[in-house]
Amino acid sequence: MAIAPLLPKTAPFAEDQLAALNSVMSATTADQRQWLAGFLAGFAAANDSGQAAAPAAPPAKRTPLTILFGTESGNSEALAAQTRKAATKLGFAPKVVDMADITMAQLAALENVVIIAATWGEGDPPQRAVDFQEALMADDAPRMDKVRYAVLALGDRAYAQFCEVGKRFDERLAALGATRVADRVDCDLDFEAPANAWIDATLAVLKPADEPIAAEHAVIHVDFARAAPEGPTRAKPFAAEVTEHVRLTGSRSSSDTHHIALSLEGSGIAYEPGDALGIVPTNDPDLADQVLNAAGLAGNAALRTALIERLDITTLTGKQVEDFGKLTGFTPEAGWATGRQIIDLLEAGASTLTPEQLTGLLRPLPPRYYSIASSRKAVDEEAHLLVAALRYESLGRARQGVASIDMTVRHRDSMNVFLRANQHFRLPADPARPIIMVGPGTGVAPFRGFMQEREATGATGKNWLFFGHRNYVHDFLYQLEWQDWLANGTLNRMDVAFSRDQPEKRYVQDAMWAQRRDLAGWLRDGAALYVCGDMNAMAKDVHAVLLRILADQGSPDEKAELDAIRRDGRYLRDVY
Amino acid sequence: MDILERPLSANEGIKARSNFLRGTIVESLGVVSTGSLADDDTQLTKFHGFYQQDDRDLRAERGKQRMEKAFSFMVRMRIPAGILTPTQWLAAEKVAIQRANGTMRLTTRQTIQFHGIIKSNLRPAFQEMYTEMLDSIAACGDVNRNVVASVHPWAGKLHEAVAATADGIATHLLPHSRAWHEIWIGEERVAGGIEEAEPIYGKTYLPRKFKIAVALPPYNDVDALAQDLAFIAIIENGSVVGYNVAAGGGMGMTHGEPDTYPRPGDIIGFCTPDQVNDVAEKIVTVQRDNGDRSDRKHARLKYTMDRMGVAAFVAAVNERLNVPLQPAREFAFVSTGDRFGWVESADGTSYFGMYIESGRVAGRAMAGLHKIAELGVGRFMITANQNLAIAEIPAASRDAVAALVAEYGLDQKAGGLRCNAIACVALPTCGLALAESERYLPHLITRLEAVLEGLGLADEEITIRMTGCPNGCGRPYMSEIGLVGRTPGVYNLYLGASHTSMRMNKLFKRDVGEEAIVAALTPVFEAFAKDRQPGEHFGDFVVRTGVVAETITGLDFHENLSPELRS
Repeated sequence: MAIAPLLPKTAPFAEDQLAALNSVMSATTADQRQWLAGFLAGFAAANDSGQAAAPAAPPAKRTPLTILFGTESGNSEALAAQTRKAATKLGFAPKVVDMADITMAQLAALENVVIIAATWGEGDPPQRAVDFQEALMADDAPRMDKVRYAVLALGDRAYAQFCEVGKRFDERLAALGATRVADRVDCDLDFEAPANAWIDATLAVLKPADEPIAAEHAVIHVDFARAAPEGPTRAKPFAAEVTEHVRLTGSRSSSDTHHIALSLEGSGIAYEPGDALGIVPTNDPDLADQVLNAAGLAGNAALRTALIERLDITTLTGKQVEDFGKLTGFTPEAGWATGRQIIDLLEAGASTLTPEQLTGLLRPLPPRYYSIASSRKAVDEEAHLLVAALRYESLGRARQGVASIDMTVRHRDSMNVFLRANQHFRLPADPARPIIMVGPGTGVAPFRGFMQEREATGATGKNWLFFGHRNYVHDFLYQLEWQDWLANGTLNRMDVAFSRDQPEKRYVQDAMWAQRRDLAGWLRDGAALYVCGDMNAMAKDVHAVLLRILADQGSPDEKAELDAIRRDGRYLRDVY
Repeated sequence: MDILERPLSANEGIKARSNFLRGTIVESLGVVSTGSLADDDTQLTKFHGFYQQDDRDLRAERGKQRMEKAFSFMVRMRIPAGILTPTQWLAAEKVAIQRANGTMRLTTRQTIQFHGIIKSNLRPAFQEMYTEMLDSIAACGDVNRNVVASVHPWAGKLHEAVAATADGIATHLLPHSRAWHEIWIGEERVAGGIEEAEPIYGKTYLPRKFKIAVALPPYNDVDALAQDLAFIAIIENGSVVGYNVAAGGGMGMTHGEPDTYPRPGDIIGFCTPDQVNDVAEKIVTVQRDNGDRSDRKHARLKYTMDRMGVAAFVAAVNERLNVPLQPAREFAFVSTGDRFGWVESADGTSYFGMYIESGRVAGRAMAGLHKIAELGVGRFMITANQNLAIAEIPAASRDAVAALVAEYGLDQKAGGLRCNAIACVALPTCGLALAESERYLPHLITRLEAVLEGLGLADEEITIRMTGCPNGCGRPYMSEIGLVGRTPGVYNLYLGASHTSMRMNKLFKRDVGEEAIVAALTPVFEAFAKDRQPGEHFGDFVVRTGVVAETITGLDFHENLSPELRS
């Protein structure tokens, strides 16, 4: 796609001059721009004496830098892009590479490598980085003596294996002879500030000392690809009006799943099917009061607002237990945090805190991400979400989700949202390519968007959905819509598995196994397979059954075959 | 135009095209996106013993939830004479717990209904019951349905004889099609085998359902005259010498259509025990050939008989019989109710009859019956009044059974009205229901009991039956007090059937709700308490004193109403 060359607002022109230039520039052809560039260079050389003596460093001399990322949620990919931007400004020749797209031999040949590695769940790499991890940890991994590197690790302290993947890569590269040029930083959910600091510090170290940092003004870096106005962000979300809210599961269902339509009108959010919407939720006011009471801070209105709107009061990390112990002397056994929340800590410790001590203890309230269940081609300026109200009991106490309860129970008029694009969960570029969708429970959300999109665009590829839930009669999410799509030929096949309708549990992987012949056939005919939903149980079971299916259907090496399908971009997951 | 020349009803085409009841049931089962079957298949599955239903309590919410109706299936087993071994009871209970809604519904046809079985559980449910030699073939549909027989096992050989007769008829009239075994059990279809045929039914089966009972006087628990065909045992010198034959009974009618009516069977003769199957077959074939296949509301045998004339009908039957029917013999019924509590049989075994409210086995009672079944003794007998008996309990096991009966409260006593009550299932699952029945009758009885107690009539045996629609599954027109649903909360009130079910009742109040029902019955109960003759039953009293006129035949059921009801 051609990108209109627009001058940034920071360009040294008056507003009307900028407008005039932009008007001319946006209508130019590449040839015209090339001619203009040559003309201006010649003109400068001839007339602007003095200025021309300090040209930007020629590209040939720029320091090469490879920014390697492994992403599941998109955070490390976004940070990689940010690093590239900063590195370009500093005169590097940066290149962003997905871990899925690099071999160990290629890695060993690199000079400067920045690694941004997310840890997912209990110490697992993102799915797209599984191969990379395996190859790097393998006994036959090549020596990396030439490589200078630094690792930025992303994770969530609520998990015991915090930033495990980053640590693993960091240690392994050192063991393989690579030179660590900057210490690893392990980031929690509020990664922005530490990540930015790490990026700046690391790039400064990687910059060869003998090479002067190019003057800021010498080269103007205009990121044409990102010239479009930025939409709402986590920090500045858009207040999206709730235009429809219906509970989809039956009144006798054991689950509580809702369809929520949000108006994005005027938000500038242009999502694609497969993208997620970030929700900036608020906490349960009752829980905020309990936390205040437990900390001896009841009645502090400002603090209460902070607890409801800005701070995470539903998790507990080992570090928080440690920090609290330093304040109060309360030192429970190791692992005490597991299954507990901040309220348990405050009540068990039974100490009065100052407001600063309490806020210092708490992490910022992270956003929650929901796969969008619609296509703009079908619902215009709306986004539909499929939200399961999360309620559970842990250590004798009833607990509940934050955003899900915020949206389904508190019946908010609007929700604060921003877009989180997911480039790795897109419909095939080829509309004729068949797809297989595996989406039990709320995992079916993006596939409703897929079907809307494929119907609206008249895509000819066949579509096959595997859906599952607890009870057929009460939990068949969007049943009438799937029926309509089956009837009009948009959806070609549907198989279901409901776990609680019969004595033996039945899940999507069982439905897949039952259809193994056709499923393998579709995959071998080029179908793309999408999996969305629970990461810990479902996605692993589905992965295992895919291997079994390929083996059962005559694959000489099912692992290699599935890897090839994945590398071909035909095995995509959005799991959480 | 002669009825037999009129265009056939839609169901006749479905049957004719069905390839002996197969239709596209297998294909329908494979469609996982809907819990329902193809429309035509829903007619055919009745012959396989089940109905497609939906939970009507949930209809309002389903549309908003973007889900189709809450479809499920009601499966009825085929249990001739209502007798199960303890292992069969346990198999049925397992189906109820694992595949249905966790309850077992005992019915007026002495069978067990399972409610709430979803499509994916149909095959497993049938396969599990089949492991104990149970099936559901022809439990519904235009065929001979479950054959009922009196449950009075202390009568020893007499009960054995009527139960065996019922079983013999059931086997003789069972459809020959192997469709049930193929579809549900996975029996291989014999390629190139003998072409399937239905020697008795033909490929379009009967015009309408057909119900058969075997009664053991003096007990009329099976409601002999409410059946298309009844065999009433004639006992001489302590053994069954033959059966009086009653034909043309039937309960169903349609509100507002006076040419539809319930009808008591006519006693048309007597046959010997060895003739029973032949008589049943020939009456079935006369109905097969003469029934109205153009209008399902006039298709039952009762209409065929009134159209042909009873004498002509009997002549047609006799023409087909090897030995014609003999003149009917004397017999008398004394009651329609069940016997509750312990009864000792002459052979040293014991019988325990228990009252099951509305036939719904659930919760604690179900758990208690499970324990009893695990003892592995006796036989479980479902009565035509929706109650249950454990019969043939050996002396050695009696104490163990008695202990469980006490522990699980299976010996609950009910008053004279309640223990003679029948309610159909109605809402929320029955698609025909216009008003509540099973969920409501117990409450109404409590209201009426308060009146009866005040009059010293708490133990008076009075039959009361409620149905949610006029189709009559609960045989409401044979009840001393009959209540038939019109719209939610509104019923037609009928009075005056005989306590022995030998006479039908008559409309007493139209479109009455609970308060009006209680208000209308209270003065009648008061008069009964005051003016009844010794031993006179409530139904006889209201006819004798002119509260309602006597109903003699089906054709006068809608006649002789009180002036206020003639409209």
